[in-house]
Amino acid sequence: MEYLIHIAILISIYAILGLSLNLVVGFTGLLSVTQAAFYGIGAYVTAILLTSTGMNFFLAMLISIVITAVLSLAIGFVLSKFKDDYYALGSFGFNVIIYSIFLNWQSLTRGPLGIPGIPRPSLFGLTFSENAWFLVLALVCALIIYGICQYITHSSFGRVLKAIREDEKAIQVFGYRVLWYKLAIFVVSAGMAAVAGSLFASYITFIDPSSFTLTESIFILAVVILGGMANNKGAVIGAICLILLPEILRFVGFPDEIAAQMRQVVYGVILILLMLYRPQGLLGEYRF
Amino acid sequence: MDIIPQLIVNSIIAGAIYAMIALGFNLIYGTAKFFDLGYGAMATIGGYTVFYFYKGLGLDLYLSVILGVLVAGVIGVVVYRLVYAPLRKRKSSGMVLLVAALGVMTALQSIVAIIFTSQFQTLSQNAGSENVYTIFGGVITQTQLIILILGLLIMIGIGLLFRYTLFGKAIKAVGDDEEVSKIVGINTSRVIGWTFFIGSAIAGLAGILVGFDTGIEPTMGMSLLLKGVIACIIGGIGNVYGGVLGAFLLGFIENFGIWQISGEWKDAIAFGVLIIFLLFRPQGILKK
Repeated sequence: MEYLIHIAILISIYAILGLSLNLVVGFTGLLSVTQAAFYGIGAYVTAILLTSTGMNFFLAMLISIVITAVLSLAIGFVLSKFKDDYYALGSFGFNVIIYSIFLNWQSLTRGPLGIPGIPRPSLFGLTFSENAWFLVLALVCALIIYGICQYITHSSFGRVLKAIREDEKAIQVFGYRVLWYKLAIFVVSAGMAAVAGSLFASYITFIDPSSFTLTESIFILAVVILGGMANNKGAVIGAICLILLPEILRFVGFPDEIAAQMRQVVYGVILILLMLYRPQGLLGEYRF
Repeated sequence: MDIIPQLIVNSIIAGAIYAMIALGFNLIYGTAKFFDLGYGAMATIGGYTVFYFYKGLGLDLYLSVILGVLVAGVIGVVVYRLVYAPLRKRKSSGMVLLVAALGVMTALQSIVAIIFTSQFQTLSQNAGSENVYTIFGGVITQTQLIILILGLLIMIGIGLLFRYTLFGKAIKAVGDDEEVSKIVGINTSRVIGWTFFIGSAIAGLAGILVGFDTGIEPTMGMSLLLKGVIACIIGGIGNVYGGVLGAFLLGFIENFGIWQISGEWKDAIAFGVLIIFLLFRPQGILKK
């Protein structure tokens, strides 16, 4: 039971990440491979605030959303100058740079040692120290994010995003400020990733830079692409599939070290097969 | 020992390695016209093949190196035939190819990690007791001298290939216009296959040399590749000489950068340079 709850919490966190990245990759058509950086910033800000000041988790989460949003605004502004392949490469760059900061700003992040002893959240005297309660919290967060994503993508704002994806020039001719829309959705997406980061930090109670590498960004991209681009349900299904699959591998009897690598082999192969046979993913409405 | 001459020597050695990766990458980009990120895995495969034959089976050094280069080249072609060729036939966009290449990279890298574990290994038998030479006050090991010589030979070789051979002209023609090349009777699929072989073999050699100089680990391909790509973009993508120029420039910036800051920031510096170039001179130093 405890094991199932653990899996469910992970799925919720990755569903949030998938939903957030889908806004940028699926709906707006910008191939961003830097989501793990925002996920990491959210996690680190929460962890540092909780361990050094002992403030309430929800306040810390709010602050980490704001800080991540501000940073993503700057990064998004630079990235908005690039197109297609170069956009992807530039976003790679930011992931590596932010990872280096986690690793090397030792006075703040403790570098490769990581930050241990992050407390679990508490609200009105109720602490989410039991995993079952934490699952409730994670699910509520995931549901709220899902609702926001549904709202955004069905609003007129969402339609403009899709129009940017289909034909950026045309929508510019109609007088929309494309840059503003791209920045807005990039910042919203990063803020959501920060929520996932906060949850992750306080759930595992320990973070180190290795959770926020380029590989992790590619994994989140795989979640989006497998589930289906530009489909919110798809992102959730992608998260479920990609979290469950390696667990099944573990059950088949691979040792842990190999199972971790198998997970990467599996999602690498999934990415290749999807591109070959179904580039829009399972429920996708859009392909590159 | 003076620091400046040593830094210059180190920069040139790093530049030579990056130049090899950049040459192969540019060769592939020049004909196939997409960012083949899976290409980095060939460096890993080259390094580990030598590790297997030379240290594992105790084969002759030169034979192992030749085998390593060949295996890397062959796997490069196999990946092209299985993944990229069908995608290109369907006229998939550059982003589809990029995502597929990310899949190739992750999968191959993890397969290597499963077979050989993800530990750092050295290739050379007599690490630490190598012959060292002093040039202009900078110290250089025998392996590094070999890196410089081989790097130079490959640069000259590629230059001659383009200038004097029919095959080199065919590569250029395919790069300029694949359709027209086909009409005039060039077997474009074979030409591209060969560029993948040559490019991947060069990457394999670079991986092997890095393995003898420092060591090998499964993730080495990714970092080598990213440096090679950055070198290409700085120098001017698709321009063979630009890639070499960019590689040495990157080598110098990195080594002088870590002299001023600290070693751990190497990757961040490289990507910082990339982003600055993408912003202010996206076509690179030498435009094609």
